[in-house]
Amino acid sequence: MSTTDTGDEGGGGDNDSGDNSSGGGGGGDFPGTIKIGVLAPEPGNDPIGGSIANGARLAAQQLTDDGFIEGTSFEVVVEDTKEDPGTGRTKYRELTQGEEVHMTTGVFTSEVLLAIMDDIASEQTIHMTSGAATPEASRLVHEEYDTYKYHFRTGPINAYELGVNMVDFLDAKREDLGWESVAVLVEDYEWTGPVQDALDENLGDTGVEVAMEQRYASGTENFSPIYDDVEDSGADAAFIAMAHTGTPAIVQWARQQRNFEFGGIHVPMQLPSYYEAVDGACNYAVTQNSATPESEVTEKTVPFSDAYNEEFDSYPVYTGYITYDAVMQYAEVVKELGTLDADEVVTGLEESSYTGTAGTISYYPPDDEFAHDVVYAEDKVDPVFQQWQDGDQTVIYPDKFTTGDYVKPEWIQ
Amino acid sequence: MSVASVLVETAIISALYALVAIGFTLIFGVGGVLNLAHGASITVGAYTTYYVTRVFGYGVGVGILAAVAASGLFGAVLYLGLVKRIQDEPILVMITTLVTAVAIEQVVVVLVGTEEKSIPALLRGNADILGTNVQLNMLAVFVLSWVVIAGLFAFVNYTKAGKALLATSMSHKGAALVGIEADRINLMTWVLAGAIAGLAGVFLGSFQTASYAMGQGPLVLSFTIVVLGGIGSIKGSVLGAYLIGFLEIMTIEYISPSLTGLTPLIVLVAVLLAKPEGLFGRELVEA
Repeated sequence: MSTTDTGDEGGGGDNDSGDNSSGGGGGGDFPGTIKIGVLAPEPGNDPIGGSIANGARLAAQQLTDDGFIEGTSFEVVVEDTKEDPGTGRTKYRELTQGEEVHMTTGVFTSEVLLAIMDDIASEQTIHMTSGAATPEASRLVHEEYDTYKYHFRTGPINAYELGVNMVDFLDAKREDLGWESVAVLVEDYEWTGPVQDALDENLGDTGVEVAMEQRYASGTENFSPIYDDVEDSGADAAFIAMAHTGTPAIVQWARQQRNFEFGGIHVPMQLPSYYEAVDGACNYAVTQNSATPESEVTEKTVPFSDAYNEEFDSYPVYTGYITYDAVMQYAEVVKELGTLDADEVVTGLEESSYTGTAGTISYYPPDDEFAHDVVYAEDKVDPVFQQWQDGDQTVIYPDKFTTGDYVKPEWIQ
Repeated sequence: MSVASVLVETAIISALYALVAIGFTLIFGVGGVLNLAHGASITVGAYTTYYVTRVFGYGVGVGILAAVAASGLFGAVLYLGLVKRIQDEPILVMITTLVTAVAIEQVVVVLVGTEEKSIPALLRGNADILGTNVQLNMLAVFVLSWVVIAGLFAFVNYTKAGKALLATSMSHKGAALVGIEADRINLMTWVLAGAIAGLAGVFLGSFQTASYAMGQGPLVLSFTIVVLGGIGSIKGSVLGAYLIGFLEIMTIEYISPSLTGLTPLIVLVAVLLAKPEGLFGRELVEA
């Protein structure tokens, strides 16, 4: 089942709107409605999927209301992937073949993204990923450019660079944090493989001692024995990459008042509602994030999160910022080009440098190993590290975005 | 980690596992059916406490009582509404209870969403036991688990209703001949098993938070523990829980945390091949 928002329902009857390679170039020959297909997991119930859907809705609404392209409205069609590759493929085809959308965005799960890569290639419809981090997608673009060039990753930075970003954070902040030694804890899921590689290759350069390294089983729910080992190792902090197992890990760390600090990439902790959900157990813990509601990553970040909150009565998760940026960047590029022709838009996106809510978005060129992934750099997309402090997502890195200083957990001297 | 720490960690986690598995074994022992909605009872207990404490603002004690009541009621509804009319068809019972479990998951997704929710601990703070950092909440789990186990033994062995339950588990025909109404005993078993599962749900939720899929792990765990200990044997289930807990901690500590979930399954297969009746055989044998 899909949900359609914004604009009129008569897209199929509009001139050219059913032709996703329509336009003809140059003259601003746009259909009455530009249709955006969105793939999101459980958009009605999951904050990550909900933010994808609502980020796209808000972008379409603003583009339509502002008359961004004169005489053209933007319409969003949302489909639920259920985080399942098979469902994702079916829904992708519904969007491209049934709804005949002009571009697609979203996709949170790497497995779903990989499942639709061939469909993206055969449909030759622009897809701008706004959640899945696997570098496997960009590898395909790099190796078989003509086939897979329609895929772009607007965010987050890919999984290998997520690991590099963790190392950069540790390198820059080790003295402020007081983390001279860390215990690396990485959950054993697909997405953490490249993260682990990046940590293995780069962590040694920081001078921080790796007191222990543990890739623990997917589905781990009892962290007590692992935490005993971290304490025995004498590490100042657990340096972590967690998504699926993050919540039991953080709750047990806090409730057991473990004698080490806690930070890295913790996906659930990125949610603005997380402090309330875990009753404050995430207090003092650090995670990487694309943006937080109060951080001025760009001049668009806070206005977007405020507008989102006003519209949907909650703040967006990182996927909301990225999806909003993806739709906005797409709109800007097609407006500049005056066409929806996918091949021309590919070139347009490759040349684009767009200031979004999560940073300045440009893409690695086709000859790069991470072809069409968003560029990770100080003046491009540079994720923030936030610490939960009494219910606030306080940004502690990079320095230009900080909203406060790092605070040690009250039970650690 | 020291040997003492291994033992303390084992005792704590195993007590929780015993609480998780006992209701499952009770229903199989007495009713002769596998309740695949056992995990759903655990979820019902956890989310009842979540609503009572976090949403409505009552204390943890009230939350626990509400969880036990709600899960007990869920057991009753499940038995009277679905299982009673098909209890002679074990496969049908399995399918029905499995569908119920999936339905409960979806209800939670719709009502609460997929975000995990924290449940307040019964006790806050930590204690140092033999050099091991232990949450007071988990100590409470340990004590309560043994209170429940002891209470269950006392109930079965020393009360009239309990003896009727034991008799029914041994022989439905024999029990019927001496005037025991099997349906009433079955209902009592489902309520009791549901209530214990609800209690387990509260503690599981306070240990690792509540999520819509939180019942899946405990269901597999119950299977493993119950087969290991001997299907239908309460004593065997308690021992099975402690063996699984011990194996889990030993695997994490001395082999590799990445094998945590695999070890019990290997043991399960080994037991099924070598000693399919489990360590304690079928204690409550059908005549």
